Parts: sequence; structure tokens; C-alpha cells
Amino acid sequence: MTSTPTRPAEHRPVTDPDAPAVYTAGTPVALGRRAAAALSFRNIGAVYVWLLIVVIFSVWAPETFPTATTVKQVLNGNAVAGLVALSVVAPLAARVFDLSVAFTMSLTSVLTAHFLVNAGLGSGTAITLAMTAALLVGVINGIVVVVLRVDSFIATLATGALIQSLITMVTNDSSITGLQLLAKPFASIAQLDAGGITLPVLYLLLAATAIWFLLEHTATGRRLYATGFNENAARLQGVRTGRLRFMTLVTSALLSGFAGVVFASSVGSGSPTAGTPYLLSAYAAAFVGATQLRAGRFNAWGTVIAVLLLGTGITGLGLATSAPWATSLFTGSVLIVALVLTGGRIALPAVLRRRKPSPAEPVASPDKKV
Amino acid sequence: MHADTSAQTSHGRHAGTAEADRPVLRVEGLSKRFGGTQALKDVDLEIAHGEIHALIGPNGSGKSTLIKILAGYHHAEPGAVAELDGEPFDLGHVTGSRHDRLRFVHQELGLVEELSATDNLALSRGFARTAFGNIRWPEMERRTTALVERFGLGIDVRRPLATATPVQRAVVAIAAALQGWEGRRGVLVLDEPTAVLPPGEVARLFQIVREIRDAGAGVLYVSHRMDEIFALADRVTVIRGGRRIATRLVSELTPRSLAELMAGQEAETAHRPQPPSGAVGRVGETGEAALEVRDLWVGPLRGVGFDLARGERLGITGLVGSGHEAVPYAVCGAWTGPVRGRVRIPERSPRWVDARDAGGLGIPLVPADRATEGVVGDFSVAENMTLPLLDRLRARLGRLHRGREGALVEEWIRRVEVRTAGRGAPITTLSGGNQQKVVMARCLAQQPPVLVLCEPTAGVDVATRQQLYELIERQAGDGMGVIVSSSDTEDLLTLCTRVLVVRDGRIVREISGRDITEPALVHAMEGTE
Repeated sequence: MTSTPTRPAEHRPVTDPDAPAVYTAGTPVALGRRAAAALSFRNIGAVYVWLLIVVIFSVWAPETFPTATTVKQVLNGNAVAGLVALSVVAPLAARVFDLSVAFTMSLTSVLTAHFLVNAGLGSGTAITLAMTAALLVGVINGIVVVVLRVDSFIATLATGALIQSLITMVTNDSSITGLQLLAKPFASIAQLDAGGITLPVLYLLLAATAIWFLLEHTATGRRLYATGFNENAARLQGVRTGRLRFMTLVTSALLSGFAGVVFASSVGSGSPTAGTPYLLSAYAAAFVGATQLRAGRFNAWGTVIAVLLLGTGITGLGLATSAPWATSLFTGSVLIVALVLTGGRIALPAVLRRRKPSPAEPVASPDKKV
Repeated sequence: MHADTSAQTSHGRHAGTAEADRPVLRVEGLSKRFGGTQALKDVDLEIAHGEIHALIGPNGSGKSTLIKILAGYHHAEPGAVAELDGEPFDLGHVTGSRHDRLRFVHQELGLVEELSATDNLALSRGFARTAFGNIRWPEMERRTTALVERFGLGIDVRRPLATATPVQRAVVAIAAALQGWEGRRGVLVLDEPTAVLPPGEVARLFQIVREIRDAGAGVLYVSHRMDEIFALADRVTVIRGGRRIATRLVSELTPRSLAELMAGQEAETAHRPQPPSGAVGRVGETGEAALEVRDLWVGPLRGVGFDLARGERLGITGLVGSGHEAVPYAVCGAWTGPVRGRVRIPERSPRWVDARDAGGLGIPLVPADRATEGVVGDFSVAENMTLPLLDRLRARLGRLHRGREGALVEEWIRRVEVRTAGRGAPITTLSGGNQQKVVMARCLAQQPPVLVLCEPTAGVDVATRQQLYELIERQAGDGMGVIVSSSDTEDLLTLCTRVLVVRDGRIVREISGRDITEPALVHAMEGTE
């Protein structure tokens, strides 16, 4: 085969974050290249933006921002948001949108409170029952999306509405409060701390580690990504795509349900709208996260970085300006900028996606020759 | 540059004399670089009035880049000269006269299949409206009918194109390109228009292309396939490695000399169709059955059954719509619609398996459409290769064993000779032929008793095609039964020891050994025996 011109072997290594291990041997030069690739703006741009934000707010609000209190506030205050964001990562990897996570979170928060306060059950039982409800939500989502083949984007919006009606049934649209929520065993779930860092931060790290391991180090993770990128091809290679998508909906319901329990413990009440503000931030973090570390793939640590980036910016704006509109402005801007920078490389749901020119022939790819 | 310009002397390099001598399209010194890769280097191209000019070259030769530059999709490097009928134009902009004269039918046709022919034509031309702004449908349909009528394929201009045949869709795409075209001073560029057409329909398309040429226009016909060049083109330009190798009159060439130009030094190995030995077995004669299929009802199929012997290379073909495309998917359990029938692999178990559960037999499939069914475009070479093999790469805690994965991938890259920058390179950086090798490798790595291939050489260059043929022959030689479902007669002629022809959902003809010839296949498919 001399008819194809030789492709320069050193063509992509520095620019392709997915591949360094392959192109490089263990030579010092190669290791240097790997390090450069790992630290490039393309790979971890959000970390640099985050550092920039820290510097800006340290100058803007030197009295209040660069303090240990702020660090604790950012970490503790965003752990629940991080859990919700992580809950949508695995579904998104398989190109499934679960928009019901915010409602599931509200549901478990009010159910936990309801069982503790109104039914007088122990906290273990209350949590188990609430998590069972979350599991049920996941199964229903799975049935509607996978078995009945409704587009996940609209299906989970619909199941979300159903969940909200259930919440209203239980709560009559008012928060459930009670001493049982503030008392020891239950309150500890979110409020126990070591040096000012509360337990939810640990939950966040554990959840991120688990999802990272699942997506990047197991066959299941590889199959999830294959399902998301090209369901047809995955199916023809024996990947049980329906089962995987079903599974991701169950895990997202469980994880967001757990976030609801943690939320109830941390604020000491069950609120019928607990989850609502977390929906946008969860998707913002997951999409910004998909531009980080493993560009183009939804991934756990990228999402955690994005949660911290957004959390820091919002906390800083709160300290510097206390303008109530700053939060949404910041979240929206970061999301748009991140998505623009990746040039639409991220998976969007079928209903929102324009047809790509041809999957086999990416136009921008420089070394594709036909 | 070893470019041979002998065939050009009769055509006007000195633009501005008589119109007949002036090329309708002239491009000179076209270069294009993508990063570190020189995609095109100093390429010249001249198309005369009333000429079908073929552009041929292996995958990665720069054909598509050239077309995309002409279409204004890529920008050429400065220094290139481009003229349409003697008038220079700027390659960087798609301006009025260029748009009026230079028209394209791309490989994917660029149609919206959910919409009708009328809608599709209107998308590029605009709708006729009343004073109130609503669309005047009767007029639109009349206009469309007038445009597609001349091709005489009985296209219903109101029905969604998804329900039309491939050749009807191709004709709608051509009609869309021809709207408002200044044909007499223009060029129609066709990029592998026959890629998805069965043989019987190719002839119809050729006739349409000839009609367009005979009206005085220039046609630039891009193809992988030599037989098409000889059937259709007046002149041919060969490019390889981004350079123009030669431009010749087709009448002065033989398949062998054209193959030499395309393949360079390696022309000796260019595969000529050879009559298959015919010795390799039918079940009951020489071999034992690797696979038995009975009473298959899938999509258009109405009760199809056959035996595949070990070591046999069994072709399955037919016109589009005959149902032959459904056979491989059904056998592998990959058909999504309702399925009836039974399948078994005797050496594994004497029990028949319901065709609905055929997926459980684990027969690997090389699907027909590489881009949408074969590869995961966002995955690397390695990830694509191991997708069906992940279970055997499992280490403790369900962890994926990266070391074993790397070794497995490297081994198969070597064995099937995949040309890639590395196993971590994105699969889309590989040429079509090399992507196909990856797809093939992952099937072979499963060491199956039966392998099913759909359109195994679609979009694959000549040299790689040859390698794939040899690979398949080798596997069959080792006792694997191979099913080759193809609408490419070269696949069937070169590769198969026996061919089943499907028409109207039934196997109507079985052709073996030396009887497998192009006319025999076409007659059986068309029912003109």
C-alpha cells in the first residue's frame, strides 16, 4: 500500500486529550508532551477561568472574598448542586436527558420530612421509603423513555410534572418542618463537619469517583458512551442500549433523590420546590464539564470542576455586589461561552440537534482525506 | 510532478479563441494544506464543453477536497487560477455567475427525505406564492413535474422522498442541482452518485448523465470505480496523494493501464475479477454446514432459506427493494422490525433458534453503512475495535484492562494492516477503507464460525478493496463461512463461490462458480432471463 501518503505520526498528540497514552512512549519528551496536553487550556480551561475569577474577586472584594469562610461556603454550599449535576452525567453520556431530577429531589426532600414529622418514623425508615420513591421514579422514567420510546427530553419533563403533583398532594404546597428534622441522627447527615467542611462534600467526592470509575474504567462506561454517540452502531455490536439507558435513568433518580435527602437534612425542612433552582445549574455544570478533561464527553470530574467554577463565581458576585440577578446572569454566560468554545461538539438531544454533515467525514478534521 | 499533459493539447490552454475550444472549467495550480497535511498540491483540471470528465483516485487522494474547494466549502491556497468558460472567478467566493454555472450533486444527495420532491426543489429555489404569501402548490407541483419528467422515472412529486427508490432520489437531487442552471456554459459535478445504486439503476443514471453532456454542458464525475469510468467518461484525471498523476482520453486506456496510474508501483496487485474456483463447497457436496437458515420472513422477504457451508463465500444480491438487504441483518439478529424464521449453527447445537433470538448466536455483522451503523465517529480506533470485545477485557471489579486492550488492538492493527497514526487516533481521521478494516478486525477477533458482510467495499479505494478481498478469502480458507450481501457486482464476481439472487422477496436464482458473471447476475436480478 504505497498509494496513500504517509500521515505525519506526530500530527495530533499534543492537541488530542483522548489519546496521549497511545502516541507516546515513556520517553521524557513524550512525558513532557503529555503533561503539556493535560495542562493545556483546551483540556482544563475551566480551571484557568476559575483561577482568574478567584483573582478578580480577591481584588474586587479583598475584605470578604479571599478567606477560609469563602472556601467553606463554596464547598459546602455547592455539594448538593454537585450531586444533582453528577446525577445527569451518566444519562447524558448515553444521550438521555433526565429533566425530572429536580422534581425527584423535591420529592425525596418532602417525603423524608413527611415520614419523619407527620408519620413519626425513624430516620432510617424515612430515608429508605423516600429513596424507594426515587427508585420508582427512575423505573417509571425508564419505562416511558426506553420501553414506550418517548424522547427523553419531553418524557422526563412530563414525569416531572407528575412528580410535582404528587409533591403537592403530600405537602399542600407548603414546607414541612419539625423538630425531628433538626434533631441529631437526621441532621447529622448534612451537618456533621470536619474543620468546617461538611459531610455532603464527601458525598460529592464519592459520587464523582464512582461515576468516573464507571464511565472511564469499565466496559459499561464504554458502552454508555457508544450508545450516546451512535446508538445504531452500538446496538449492532451487541450493546444492549435500551437496558443501559434504562439503567442511567434509575441511577439519576437515585442520586438526585439522595441529594433531596441531604438537602432536607441541611436546611431542616422538606420544601416542595427544593429542587427547582438546581435544574439549570446541574445541566450547566454537566455541559461545561463536558468541555473539560475529556472534551466532547460528559464526565464526572469535569462536572465537579464546573460546579466549583460556577459556585465560586456566584459566591463572589454575592459578596462583591449582592445584586440578586447576578447568579443567573453568571450561570447563563458561562454555559454559553463554554458551549461556543467547543463549537457544538457536545451531544444534544435529537430534538434539538441539527443533522451533522456526515459522521464519517468531519469537515473540520484536518487530516481526513477522502 | 509527473503529470502527463498529452491529452490536453487538443483543448485550449489559450483561452479566448473559439468557444468550442475554450474549456468550460479550467483550474490551475490548486493547492490545499490542512495543518501538516498537504491535501492537494498544484493540481490542474480542465473540462471541455460536452465532456464527461472523470476524476478518479484512491481514498485520501484529495478528490473530495478538490470538489469541496470548487463548491466553495474549503478555501484554496493563494495562487490558484480558476476560469469558467474563459471568465476568471474567485475560488474564495460563491458569486452569481459561478453559482449559476457550477452545480453539485454530493454523495449524500443533500435531500430532506421527510419532504416531497416539490419541497426539496423549492428549498434551493424558493416557493411560488400568492399576494397573501401562501404557497401556490399547484404551480409548484407543475414546475417540479416539468423538471423531473424529462428523466422519466415516474416520480410522485407529492410523496416524501423516503418512499422513493434510490435512483429516484438521485434524480431529484440532480433536478435540484439543475434548477436555473446555465447548462450550456456550466459544469455539473457528480460525487460518486452510484454509491448506493444497484446495478440495474446505474445504467439509467448513466443515460441521464449522457443526456446532460449531450446538451453541451461539462460533467465532472467523481468515482472510485473503474468500470464506471469506462462505461461513461470521455476523459479521466487521476489524482493520488494530492497530485494530479495524469489526464487521459478514456478510449486510450485499458483497465490495466488505468489501474497502474491509480495504484502507482503496485499495479501488479490490482485485483482483476477472476472466476472463483467453484471447488469450495456446497453443503452435502464437500463441506459441512456452518449455518442453516429456514423460512425467513423479514421486511420484504417471503420465506427465504439456505445453507452456508464451512469455508464458503456466499453472495446474496438483488435490486434495491428486493429484500436481499434484510437477509444479513436478520441472520445476525440485528433487524429491528418483526422477524419470522429459524436459524442454527449445527456444529454448536442441533437445536433451531427462532430468528427473533438470532442475536444470541453472536454472528458478527459488518453493516452496510459505515458512518451510521459501523463506526462510532467520536470514538478512537481502539474504542471502535474493542466495542464488541469488552467482556473479555474485564479485570477485577469490572475494571477494563487497558493493557490487554492495547495489546489486542495493536495485534489487529498489524494483522489487517490498518493505516492509522495510532490506536488512540479518532476513527474519523482514517480513510474509509481503513475504517472498514477496523470494523472487519473486530468481527474477526471474535473468531466466529460465520461472518456476515454487508456492502464490504462501499467507499473503499482500489488497493484496500484488494486487501479486504484477500483477508476474506483467507478467513474462508480457514473454514469460516462468509455471507457477502452486496449490490456491487465486483464483490460478487471476485469474492463469492456461490451467489443467491433475491427478487420480490424470494431467492429466484442460485449461481455457482464459473457461472457467476455480470450478465448472469443482472439478468437474474432484473428477471430478464
